[in-house]
Amino acid sequence: MKEFIKITVPSDAKYLCLIRDITTRMGLLGGVEGPLIDTLKLAIDEACANIIKHAYKGDTGKKIHIRYRITKGAFEAVIEDSGEKVRPELLQGRDLDDVKPGGLGIHFIRRAFDVVAYDGKKKKGNRLRLVKYLKEE
Amino acid sequence: MEIGIADYNGNKLITVSGDIDMYSSPALREQMIFLINKKVSVMLVDFNKVSYIDSSGIATFVEVLKHMKSYGGRLQLFGLPVAVKEIFGFSKLDKVFEIFRDIEDAVKS
Repeated sequence: MKEFIKITVPSDAKYLCLIRDITTRMGLLGGVEGPLIDTLKLAIDEACANIIKHAYKGDTGKKIHIRYRITKGAFEAVIEDSGEKVRPELLQGRDLDDVKPGGLGIHFIRRAFDVVAYDGKKKKGNRLRLVKYLKEE
Repeated sequence: MEIGIADYNGNKLITVSGDIDMYSSPALREQMIFLINKKVSVMLVDFNKVSYIDSSGIATFVEVLKHMKSYGGRLQLFGLPVAVKEIFGFSKLDKVFEIFRDIEDAVKS
């Protein structure tokens, strides 16, 4: 499958369930199975939750754009917003041994995807490219 | 997500079903903080019908655990589906929380 699917969702946490459902379906259409789908779904959910919380500061009137593309060898999602610029160097997450609320989302994103890259050329907002390379049968 | 609260052998039993995410976790937090304010000594949380949890859901339980520990209370989780348990494990929280197979094991501990 070489087509891409683009969705636009309001920046409201009540729509995260929709993003999770679509991510799961896209994974299944691309032949992704089992626990990997769960990790991809969680990671994209976390990326979108970060946009709502940090880039849009809880403003539910904005938009989140996700473009999915699945090829024989990879599952790719490009997530865009028009919110406050993220400084990738600050996205460290908390030390997993330091038990406290928060700071786990970026760990879930990094463990799921082989490529986690912010596009520094985007002038307004953020463009996050996530790629998971799939093992060929 | 739906939340049920019941008494179970003198303890509070919280039954959660559905997805615990950024949208639903504030409601769960509110219910649990309400019980913490009453200094509930043991809170049992039934995960059998939890279909999904994200970092905000995990953060809710970490916060509740810290509150309960501050007054000697116990937060006990049981019936975690495999996918949910895996997330606790990856986060290194499976050693921090009291996690049991079922409610009988939790109560016996």
